[in-house]
Amino acid sequence: MSAIHLQNLVKKFGDFTALKTMDLAISDGEFMALLGPSGCGKSTTMNMIAGMEEPTGGKILFGDRDMAGVPMGRRGVGFVFQNYAIFTHMTVRQNLAYGPKMRGAAKAEIDRRVGAIAEMLQLSPLLDRKADKLSVNILQRVAIGRSAIMEPAIFLLDEPLSNVDAAFRAVMRTELKQLQRQFRQTMVYVTHDQLEAMTMADRIAVMDHGVLQQVGTPLEVYNDPANVFVARFIGAPGMNLLKGRPAESDRGLVVDLGPLGVTPPLAGELAAAMRGARGEVLYGFRPEQATLVQNGQGLAMPVTFVERIGARTIVHLGQGEAAVKTVFDNDVGLAIGDTAVVAPTTSSVRVFDAATGLAMKAG
Amino acid sequence: MSAVTVMTSKDEVKAVGAKPVSRDEGARLGFRLTLPAQILVLFISAFPLLMQLYISVTDWSPLSGTGWWNAWSMWNSFANYTDLAADARFWSALKRTAIVMIVCVPAEFLLGLALATLFADDFPGKRVFYSILLMPMMVVPAVAGYMFFMLFQSGGPVNDILSALTGSPVTIAWLSDPTLALIAVMVADIWQWTPLMFLILLAGLVGVPEDQIKAATLLGANPWQRFVTIVLPKMKTIIIIALAIRVIENFKIFDTLYIMTGGGPGVATETISVYIYKLTTQDLIWGYVAAIALAILVVLSIVAVFAMKRMARAREVPA
Repeated sequence: MSAIHLQNLVKKFGDFTALKTMDLAISDGEFMALLGPSGCGKSTTMNMIAGMEEPTGGKILFGDRDMAGVPMGRRGVGFVFQNYAIFTHMTVRQNLAYGPKMRGAAKAEIDRRVGAIAEMLQLSPLLDRKADKLSVNILQRVAIGRSAIMEPAIFLLDEPLSNVDAAFRAVMRTELKQLQRQFRQTMVYVTHDQLEAMTMADRIAVMDHGVLQQVGTPLEVYNDPANVFVARFIGAPGMNLLKGRPAESDRGLVVDLGPLGVTPPLAGELAAAMRGARGEVLYGFRPEQATLVQNGQGLAMPVTFVERIGARTIVHLGQGEAAVKTVFDNDVGLAIGDTAVVAPTTSSVRVFDAATGLAMKAG
Repeated sequence: MSAVTVMTSKDEVKAVGAKPVSRDEGARLGFRLTLPAQILVLFISAFPLLMQLYISVTDWSPLSGTGWWNAWSMWNSFANYTDLAADARFWSALKRTAIVMIVCVPAEFLLGLALATLFADDFPGKRVFYSILLMPMMVVPAVAGYMFFMLFQSGGPVNDILSALTGSPVTIAWLSDPTLALIAVMVADIWQWTPLMFLILLAGLVGVPEDQIKAATLLGANPWQRFVTIVLPKMKTIIIIALAIRVIENFKIFDTLYIMTGGGPGVATETISVYIYKLTTQDLIWGYVAAIALAILVVLSIVAVFAMKRMARAREVPA
């Protein structure tokens, strides 16, 4: 087990900057997800941790050991590839035994370790099967077992579930999380799927365009996005953001949304944080954290689309810049053309500076 | 479902209003349509083989004064085959051919593999070297033969280079010495055919999945271990193909060699093909030639069948 520290890590490919000065501390035994859209630099970061690519600048420390110049075979890193990279010309047993064998372990020792790891991963009955005719969840276990047998300090997983169909992905997610609990290794998991990151990770590092946007627990990034990107990226659908200007009213600080009217008053703490700000802001609330109100204080908007997703119903309101989505129970009595008056839960409202995109926070 | 209508043969029959064609009728129609091609194939493959078999059991020669179809009158009750078994010159030619093959094919394979490994990675000037490396393969073998004939003259460049290296004048008569002539011939073959090996093996090498190599590296395998445990097993099929091609081709080694030494000095570089050539053009005993050619065909076919079997087995385990 080992902590990972990334210090001022930079990676450039020619003129293209894949990663701009990244600082990240992953603690020992933590499950950290690197989450972001394609091209955000998450895989590059992982490849540098594994030693497949050399950083252009900055440092990677495992514990307090600088990894500069340490070849990938000696980093003590287990790597699970996107397509698992199983040695298809070998049996499951040969795959599992590969690492110890290459390091010259004794035959009896190899057998013992393969037996133990196969037992743990429930691969014992499959040991003598050829690895090219296995189902994808078995392949995942072989890939993990093949790395785990080396007892790596760190496990890196590169979108291991992206080739799996949706139904099976849920099964594999659970299995993976359980395995991590068993092994108690530091795990870094690269994904573009927020559901995977939210369900499995202890903490999530959200990245975009080679810049680390926010690091936090799944609930932190969901509840308190650090900026507009994270607010939009996390959540399905993402956070609603409406342009407006802060304005004083007799009931306290509100946001004037122009044609949509003014919002309900902001919570005291948020209002305090915004004291003095007069520039354009983005008024944000989660689709799940709004209620229908009959007349009182709320935003009146026309229903433009009603999307039934099974468990709940997504109602699209407004158009263009002034469009929001809200999630209600299926018995919501709204149809296209109706006017809905929605009120965001006061405690869940977040406000972002429109110029910088950063969340406005007390302190 | 997309709006694609699949038209079966039945629909087609309905469409043209003809009565349905039975399976037998269809097969018969197919046979009739391919008949010209089948006759052609029969003519160019089966006919020469049968003719060869026929002549090989007679004493017929173009000097017999009668056409080959009358060769039955010269039936010699398999004397050609019994002669062949006792023909010391044939057996020594066969042995020589085998020696050339045992030296050349592994040498071409190892050199080709080493070069392919080198070219699988990038290095400055790779494209230029690549083109240069493939050139020997493009040279007409007769021209290559002439080139090496000149190179190995006692006053030729090979001796000049050796002189420069040793500091004293070297005047080895390469092509007049029985052993050295064989070596010179083998050098020419290796020079000309290593590129083919290289090209085939490079194609196989770049097909080895890169992430499996990375996975092996992460598991602590050194480059040699990676080569032996991942790269070679993945290249098995293509290696078998490359070796089979070269074994069969090398067995028939002729043009370069014939121009360099003419099979000489004496019979020192006389391979099977050279021996057959001489019997055909000088001795004109075509019945005997047919018997030798058939015997060799059988041997090469066994090699080919063996290689194809291995390939079929290797294909059951895709890379």
